[in-house]
Amino acid sequence: MFEIGFKESGEVAVSGRLDAAQAARAQEFLDSLDGRCVIDMTELEYVSSAGLGVLLRTHKRLMAGKEGLELVNVNKHIADIFRYSGFDKLFAITTL
Amino acid sequence: MQKKYSRNFDQIQEIVKDTEHFFAANNIDDSLRMKVDLSLEELFVNMVNYNTETDQNILVEMRAIDKGIEISLTDFDVERFDPTLAPDVDIDAPLSARSPGGLGLYLVLKMADSINYQYYDRKSKITFTNRVSAE
Repeated sequence: MFEIGFKESGEVAVSGRLDAAQAARAQEFLDSLDGRCVIDMTELEYVSSAGLGVLLRTHKRLMAGKEGLELVNVNKHIADIFRYSGFDKLFAITTL
Repeated sequence: MQKKYSRNFDQIQEIVKDTEHFFAANNIDDSLRMKVDLSLEELFVNMVNYNTETDQNILVEMRAIDKGIEISLTDFDVERFDPTLAPDVDIDAPLSARSPGGLGLYLVLKMADSINYQYYDRKSKITFTNRVSAE
């Protein structure tokens, strides 16, 4: 189960499992965003390379406009995957 | 456990559910789940994406081992493709030089404690293990 949407604060919230079966839906949502975007990952349980690709593609698009993605409330397991992937050097990341 | 899955990303949810049941039934440490789920998905997706000349289902086998789990995925009637030879990823590259894709097998090679590839009779079989003691 994967969900993506806006919080009342305007941040994007993701929850569940961002895997290859859900990547297209996540990409479609994130493609509609402009400017700097904060993604709250408190409820995100899992991300695979398909999900990493969605984040990277979106970050590159937004960074072209000098903005970008900020990933907040990242759990330890997902932070490990970001570190293995080198994403900790590419994104502003705040862990839980 | 042995089970075949059709070549469809929708099967990932079924694989996750079956893995959860296997872990519970065999008292395998849940701390291994993230790594196991990731390697399983990446290898399954790789077979679906790149072994396109077949419509045969993919066989997944799980076996409890000392302090961990051994999992094999077998693809049938396919050309040789050894995931253990996947090119390295420069994780220190700047954003401008990074592109989506290529990370899946790289992560498998990082996450698995051991990984082995066999090719015979047009069958492509990859086996990996994860153990708590190797954490």
